[in-house]
Amino acid sequence: MAADSALLVSLVEEFVSGLQDSKANDTATGVQAKQFTILQLVEALGPSLTSTTPHTRARGVQLLSQVIQQCYGDLSESEVEVLIAFYENRLKDHYVITPFVLQGLKALTKRSLLPTGSAVSMLRSLFQDVHVQSLMLAERASVYNMLLNLMESREAELKGLGADFVFGFVQSMDGERDPRNLVLAFQIAKNIIHRGYELGKFAEELFEVTSCYFPVDFSPPPNDPHGITQEMLILSLRAVLTGTPRFAEFLLPLIIEKLDSDIQSAKIDSLQTLTACMSTYEHKDLAEFLSGLWTSIRREVFQTASERVESAGLAAVTALTSCLSRSILSSDSEDSLKTFLDVVLKDCQHHLCEPDLKLVWPSAKLLQAASSASYRASHIVAAVVIPGLVEQYNSRTQCAHRRTILEVMQGFIHTVKNTSQSADDGESVLLAHRDALCAVVFSALSENSSDLQVTSMRVLSALGQQTGLLSESDVERAVDHLNRLILEEDDSSVSVSVIVCAESLSRLHPTAFITKMVPTLKQEIFSESMVQGEDGTPSNESSQHAVRQRCVSALAAVSTQPSVVQESAPVLLEVLSSAHTGSGGFSVEEVVAVCFSLQRIADQTLDSEETGRFFYDIIIPRLLTLTLQAALQGEGSSGHRSPLVEEAVLSAMVGVISTACAKLQPELAGKMASRVVSLFLEDDVSFLSDDSLPPHIQLLKQGESWSRSQMVCLLMACVCSLPRNVEVPQVERLMEQLEELSITCSHVLSYTSAAKCYAGLVNKRPAGESLNALIQRSTRRVSSELDSPASPQRTQAFTLLLWLAKGLLLRYHPLSTALTDKLFSLLGDPELGPLAGDCFSLLMSDSADVLNRGCHADVRIMYRQRFFTENSAKLLQGFNSAASDTKSSYLKALSHLVSSLPKEVQLTELPALLSLLLEALSCPDQGVQLSTLSCLEPVLMEPPPALIQQLEALVTRLLALTCSSTMTVRIASLRCLHAMSRFPEHEVIPLRARVLQALAKPLDDKKRLVRSEAVLARAEWFLLGSPGGR
Amino acid sequence: MVGHKSAFMLENANPLIFQRSGARLLTSSDEDEDVHDPIDDREIFDILYLHLIRSINDPEHPLSLEELNVVEQDRVQVNDADSTVGIEFTPTIPHCSMATLIGLSIKVKLLRSLPHRFKIDVHITPGTHASEDAVNKQLADKERVAAALENSQLLEVVNQCLSTKSP
Amino acid sequence: MKDALVLVERFNAHPDSRCWHVAWNPTATLLASCGGDRAIRIWGKEGDSWKCLSVLQDGHQRTVRRVAWSPCGTYLASASFDATTCIWKKKNDDFECLTTLEGHENEVKCVTWAPSGNLLATCSRDKSVWVWEVDEEDEYECVTVINSHTQDVKHVVWHPTLELLASASYDNNICVYKEEDDDWECKATLEGHTSTVWSLTFDPSGQRMASCSDDRTVKIWKCQNIEGPGDMSWKCVCTLSGFHGRTVYDIAWCRLTGALVTACGDDGVRVFKEDLAADPDQPVFSLAAHVSKAHSQDVNCVAWNPKEAGLLASCSDNGEIALWRYQEDHE
Repeated sequence: MAADSALLVSLVEEFVSGLQDSKANDTATGVQAKQFTILQLVEALGPSLTSTTPHTRARGVQLLSQVIQQCYGDLSESEVEVLIAFYENRLKDHYVITPFVLQGLKALTKRSLLPTGSAVSMLRSLFQDVHVQSLMLAERASVYNMLLNLMESREAELKGLGADFVFGFVQSMDGERDPRNLVLAFQIAKNIIHRGYELGKFAEELFEVTSCYFPVDFSPPPNDPHGITQEMLILSLRAVLTGTPRFAEFLLPLIIEKLDSDIQSAKIDSLQTLTACMSTYEHKDLAEFLSGLWTSIRREVFQTASERVESAGLAAVTALTSCLSRSILSSDSEDSLKTFLDVVLKDCQHHLCEPDLKLVWPSAKLLQAASSASYRASHIVAAVVIPGLVEQYNSRTQCAHRRTILEVMQGFIHTVKNTSQSADDGESVLLAHRDALCAVVFSALSENSSDLQVTSMRVLSALGQQTGLLSESDVERAVDHLNRLILEEDDSSVSVSVIVCAESLSRLHPTAFITKMVPTLKQEIFSESMVQGEDGTPSNESSQHAVRQRCVSALAAVSTQPSVVQESAPVLLEVLSSAHTGSGGFSVEEVVAVCFSLQRIADQTLDSEETGRFFYDIIIPRLLTLTLQAALQGEGSSGHRSPLVEEAVLSAMVGVISTACAKLQPELAGKMASRVVSLFLEDDVSFLSDDSLPPHIQLLKQGESWSRSQMVCLLMACVCSLPRNVEVPQVERLMEQLEELSITCSHVLSYTSAAKCYAGLVNKRPAGESLNALIQRSTRRVSSELDSPASPQRTQAFTLLLWLAKGLLLRYHPLSTALTDKLFSLLGDPELGPLAGDCFSLLMSDSADVLNRGCHADVRIMYRQRFFTENSAKLLQGFNSAASDTKSSYLKALSHLVSSLPKEVQLTELPALLSLLLEALSCPDQGVQLSTLSCLEPVLMEPPPALIQQLEALVTRLLALTCSSTMTVRIASLRCLHAMSRFPEHEVIPLRARVLQALAKPLDDKKRLVRSEAVLARAEWFLLGSPGGR
Repeated sequence: MVGHKSAFMLENANPLIFQRSGARLLTSSDEDEDVHDPIDDREIFDILYLHLIRSINDPEHPLSLEELNVVEQDRVQVNDADSTVGIEFTPTIPHCSMATLIGLSIKVKLLRSLPHRFKIDVHITPGTHASEDAVNKQLADKERVAAALENSQLLEVVNQCLSTKSP
Repeated sequence: MKDALVLVERFNAHPDSRCWHVAWNPTATLLASCGGDRAIRIWGKEGDSWKCLSVLQDGHQRTVRRVAWSPCGTYLASASFDATTCIWKKKNDDFECLTTLEGHENEVKCVTWAPSGNLLATCSRDKSVWVWEVDEEDEYECVTVINSHTQDVKHVVWHPTLELLASASYDNNICVYKEEDDDWECKATLEGHTSTVWSLTFDPSGQRMASCSDDRTVKIWKCQNIEGPGDMSWKCVCTLSGFHGRTVYDIAWCRLTGALVTACGDDGVRVFKEDLAADPDQPVFSLAAHVSKAHSQDVNCVAWNPKEAGLLASCSDNGEIALWRYQEDHE
């Protein structure tokens, strides 16, 4: 102990007199190691603390406080008591000591346990002896932190101080200027209000001392290390100001005043603050200010050009109205909500009726905002507004006016929907106006204007979404109109709207669609004029084709309920049958469109068991039967060729089957798998609805016809889309045959589909020895084909390699590396090199029909980044050592890899690859150009210095590409040039004249899409360096 | 040639307001390399509407020009084959002092956006402005327009109108 | 139309900018051009083609609208949107800026030398026409400021032999001035065009004047008492309408052949020939040659070569200069 005390004395000496700051740490270590206690330290500090020089005393206190900062948790209660008493006493000492005293006290307040009464005594001394605002910034922060700490641990004790606590705090923060400290002070004020501290007579003082910062106007200095934002200050101050209704009488006049401000952010802050306090206020708190508030808000919404001010204003109206809606009605008091809404209606309603519809939108939005606040509010508003609008509609003759009124109506119906749902009885506010609204809608639907038709369909959908607003006969009438528009209206905006409207109505009213729409559309699809087609003029044919297209998409759109699917899907299947037999004159495009419709139906309804069974029992077997019939018929006969053997049709059918199988209920999915597998492996046609099929169809045997072997894509659609837990029967045998077909078949669609199917299955196989063996076997086979240059099956082997690599890469399978390395090595292959370069695009992108998450494939997140990180060096190396005639394959691969990466990753990787990418821009391959441009564009938004150094090369290449023969390349290069106009001005100004000159040419491009990019880019380059520009 | 901007701002306290219209729908031929898309009325309208009229507004003014139908599609006449474009714009009220500035901005926007072969005529919609003829004559005089664009204060105002600002 | 305009040469004179004006020097060895790039270029024939011999760059801060050679060919005057007129002196193959004439409030649109070479006239958007006197020491002094127009003055031109000046304006009128009692006065105002008059030219005899306008017409004016005292009486004796598709920006009467050529905003260059058999008080002009797309943009200026009959220079908004040979009745 003697040695320790000597040590302590020397530490103190070295710190206080020797000014060695590091000794504080040593001392703290000593205390923590129990070499000496804190009280021994105080004792040892004795001479320093009683020195007559304030700076020596300060140094003594500093040592003590720094030690306590490190070991406040290890102190005993009695030690704490002594220390607090010591510090309280020191607060009266010389000002140079105060900072260290506060430091010590702050450290002590971090303790969860403090002696009873110590918090109160600490605060009393603090408020009494210290004038906080004359302290330095850091000490003020110490004070706020002390208060915050104590509020956490000693709430009850602090509340015992009563309003004195609030008063002390108000005095402490009065005049605070530092944003970091304000965040702390606002937090304390918020605690005071939200945790129920007594405000006593100091409510106004607390409001004054905080509201003087409202609205917050703070822009952080550039490179501000403290990270305080205007938003942080706004939100923390708002929590204070809106926390209690006791502030209402001060806050509301302040808000009215600040709404008059010229500064937009002040207006928005005021409106949002108003909105925030409405959740705590009651009617009585705001009664006095209601008319002032309304006048100001209305003015803002009417006059503003800013959408943010407008939406803040509207939110405030909703909040006000909903606050008033909460007030309880009693028979003798006035109905404050009604009174308020009467004023709103009086000020706004007439704008909806003025002859030239001035201010119609702001008025309508204000009324809608009010009516969206509550059921009762929407009742009151609707009772006045809806009849007014109906009358307006009927008295108007101008189409634009009528459309505007319809749009306003739609807005009201939409707001009412939300309030009705929350009402107890759920009955729509609009029930009383139902007939009038329907009459308007039907009258508008019959008009000759596409604008009116489109808008009225939106209103119709809005009505249809609320129960009880459309009667059965209304829906039927609506369906008649929709039918007419589908059959007769060519305008594309109308067609789109019909589909959307029909879809939305069919959800709640399927019956009318079953009885009225499906039969009408069916009749139209199979109508005589369609079938005859041949003697029609070309324009007639194309318009008939368009009508058919619309019918087919409408059938899908309205199939939102299982009951409709039962009717609509058979119509679509019937089209496929007719197309197959050659009757009805259906084109390949029409057949494809039918498949898309079936896919859409699968996508939107397969969650229901009923539809699942329908697909399992009827639709999928029917599709397989028809394609099989087509495949068998395709051989031999030289006459009519069924469209169902066309690749476009098969691909579309893959979409239907794959979407359906991915969504089938597990049990049905399992059964589906075994049916399809036994069809392909064992010629089992028992589940197909055709007895006339021959016994040996041998779909997976190459050497049979291509029309049979290509059906393997349908096998893929089924077995590769199943959930991973569904067992595929005989999978080993199946995969063997697929591998064989994929290598030996010479028909592209057949071998590619076989490879994809194989990869899709491999992707989902459980990891383990048997999978590894399978992969190794395939790898050997593929390699041996690829390694013999004379092999006629190199392309097939390459295709399998690619898909297998993809299937494994997606799931991070360790054996994928060998396969992808093989792909890299093929980049230098004279025959397969270009193909290998392209394949990286396929490897990195999502495939539409297999190996995607939609069909339950095992896809790990960030596999692209991982692959890039592991392989970019190989690629660079390969490029550098490649012969000049194969370099372009490497560039292709690189541009595909980089463009598939997320933007953030691209940004970090790019500098290293830049010169290579610039080279890729000069590569004649358009695919390479395009993917390089697409990965450059985002980088150009924030150009790295490496890029700036290559400006000249970049501009030259980009300008050359604006004249490419491919429009997508022209567009992408123009976008890049557009982005370059944002580069640092001094860097790009020298290029301005040249770029403007060159961009004049694409202004006259034959493609509109190119021209509009050129217009945008050229406009920016004009503004560059020009007054008022940038 | 142009009055101070704010002089215009509150003149038109009760303008006619229209809802914003939708974007042009893409058709399949728009993406077909082989189809030549002629420059048409809608395209010119979109250039003006999306990139110019939308930007001419001022925080002090209650409404943006896009809501005021200053430019309407049926007042745009394009003939791609003859390389001519005619625009009639409608100053929001008959004595709006911004008319020349709007007209000049329209003209400059089109000069920058159209192939050089085009002849561009910008006029005020007949009967909608008190000094219609004077403004039309100024806008048609390319020497005056060229000189105006060499005046940096004026160019600054025009450029501000032509800057695409995010809302 | 039996005659033809054959393109001799075309060259880009003011890249990325418009070329406003071209002018031949009196001996027709040099061509001066000016444009939106604030530069003046001097062109000379080297071998078979025209080459840029010098670029006069630092005289003006804005567009150079017009250049004019002095009758002796030693001086070149340039008028600019920067409100000044520069006088350049040719020294061997170089040009040096002798003086800058200031005084106009804004854009100077045109400058022209009197046949004597002692007087210079300028006009401006400030609605005034100024006449300057030159002494032997190359000092220039403004002798008069005339404010007869109510709008911009677009063009001024001297009579080929007399001290008589004509100006054309945005106010649709033409004014003709003479010096009387030491003061320049407007002696006639020619009304007839319905829009801006862009340019004027005298016929070789000086008895007639042709004007071209934004109203898409060309008018021929004749004066009976050009040399007498007092007010002059000018009469429009012929209007060529229906030939031009847009504004006619420039017109030039050939001193050697009597042919009239126009520069038009419809990109065309047209040559008109007078039917000499017609009544002198009702002259008849017919379109002799027409190149409809002489340039890909507006044609701003046409100038006949003063020495070689039929050779013509034109310039355009696309920055190009073209040289043409007018071949009469080339059968």
